[in-house]
Amino acid sequence: MVREPPKVLTSSGGETKGQGVALPVMVYPAQDSPLLDALMDGESVHQLLVDSRGDYAVFMLDSNGIVASWNKGAEQIKGYSRDEIVGRHFSVFYPAEDRTRGKPERELVIAARDGRFEDEGKRVRKDGSEFWANVVLSAVRDRTDALVGFVKVTRDLTEERAARERALTNAQALEAVNAELEAFTYSVSHDLRAPIRQIEGFSKILEEHLGKSLDPQVEHYLRRIQDGSQQMGRLVDDLLHLAQLGRQHAKPRLTSLDSLIDEVLTNLRAEIMERDVKCRVGALPTVVCDPGLMKVVFTNLVSNAVKYTRRREKAVIEIGHVVKDGEPVIYVRDNGVGFDMKYADKLFGVFQRLHRAEEFEGAGVGLATVSRIIRKHNGTIWAEAAPDQGATFFFTLGTAAPDETTHTG
Amino acid sequence: MNSKRSIQMLLAEDNASDADLILASLAKVGLAEVIHVVHDGVETLDFLFCRGEYADRLQEPSIRVIVLDVKLPKVDGFEVLRELKADARTRSIPVVMLTSSNIERDVARGYQLGVNSYLQKPIDFERFRETVRHLGLYWMTMNEPPPVWSRIGAGQ
Repeated sequence: MVREPPKVLTSSGGETKGQGVALPVMVYPAQDSPLLDALMDGESVHQLLVDSRGDYAVFMLDSNGIVASWNKGAEQIKGYSRDEIVGRHFSVFYPAEDRTRGKPERELVIAARDGRFEDEGKRVRKDGSEFWANVVLSAVRDRTDALVGFVKVTRDLTEERAARERALTNAQALEAVNAELEAFTYSVSHDLRAPIRQIEGFSKILEEHLGKSLDPQVEHYLRRIQDGSQQMGRLVDDLLHLAQLGRQHAKPRLTSLDSLIDEVLTNLRAEIMERDVKCRVGALPTVVCDPGLMKVVFTNLVSNAVKYTRRREKAVIEIGHVVKDGEPVIYVRDNGVGFDMKYADKLFGVFQRLHRAEEFEGAGVGLATVSRIIRKHNGTIWAEAAPDQGATFFFTLGTAAPDETTHTG
Repeated sequence: MNSKRSIQMLLAEDNASDADLILASLAKVGLAEVIHVVHDGVETLDFLFCRGEYADRLQEPSIRVIVLDVKLPKVDGFEVLRELKADARTRSIPVVMLTSSNIERDVARGYQLGVNSYLQKPIDFERFRETVRHLGLYWMTMNEPPPVWSRIGAGQ
């Protein structure tokens, strides 16, 4: 009689986890044929198995777990030739402890019940060596739904697993180094606080003790000591803040930048009113960001704008946004002293300053802080300026959730 | 310190300069004389439980506040706090942590262990002086201390 060739359907048993193999499920004509016959004669099935990629062992088991077919990949991965393995029970591929615990048989039961079983674990080659495998076991049923056997696809993941572990180790090491660096910065700046306060404190107490009889020269020197210690105090505070920022996780939520900038400007009112600076605030978008951190960004940018417009009779600060490639670009612009664009790359580095301290005070931590926060949000920041022509700071906030970027700071 | 006036504040501070600055700040409001300074965690506990070099000290109920640094040598501030709050004789004495650490974890730990107030030492001296002055005036003159019987009688 002429046997109807088996039809090959794609398995409905779900995707194999990340392996990208669509498992074939064989549907056999019901009239006769034990599995073995079907396998040996079914040319297209055979073809399918043999043509499978070499790095997959693809073979069939009968309903009792006896190996019924074998492909090149199986030979490569497991080390058995077809003649050596066909007819033997598939539990030989398992480590001894799995065999004693009845793992191979259990897998067959699950695959028969659920249609499919997937596992990742140790398997044994012919020479006794072990490898790390991904295994998918699929039940094969005929038209009457009777179990005729199983297709087993095994992949050697040893390399992949090692690579995965290496990547994990590297990531962990990197994280540890980062954490250590942050802890170091934190403790350094932290431990510097006490002596600074002491210098300032004792010079003040000294000044008070000497009272009215103070020699003007002595008073001048004491002032210098106090100025110096105060400046160092601010520096350490800024550094501390920057170090804390590195540890902090951004907590993004939907935030109206309109109301956020109102708050920032209210807080900066004293600075702004003092010199009658004109603030023009355009419409700002509602974005996903950490509102606390974003306040730090605007506070720094607006304070800078106020600072660097000091020499302008009519200082104007503009805050607004444009949409570029569908993404809001927020800007803070001033008509202050600006800077030469050839120093632009130094702008966001810690302790980098483009102006002399006598002209404009500051430690060079503000923009480093701003840039760090923007990076935490997967955004970008850049500036456009020219000497004496004002400066504009632009930034975007990435669309991706910034939560996972916080470790690298 | 065997002055005529009884000790009202126990200051646990290992940094001599900071201790000086605290005393100088409180001298301005006339509170320096009633302060006793201890320099590490062990000494703090010895003082409070009248042990070691303080074995002869009378367990006087006059202490209105304990000011505790976090980073004390030998036994740190948290451990001192834990032991104080675990003992009926010392449990109700208000404890203020005055420290340079404002790490959230430290603040949380202090409160979990039952600290009554947590203050960060400001880096700026003027603000430091203000903070210390407020601390002293509040706990030593304004705050109503726990009644004496609640301490002596406690633990029976």
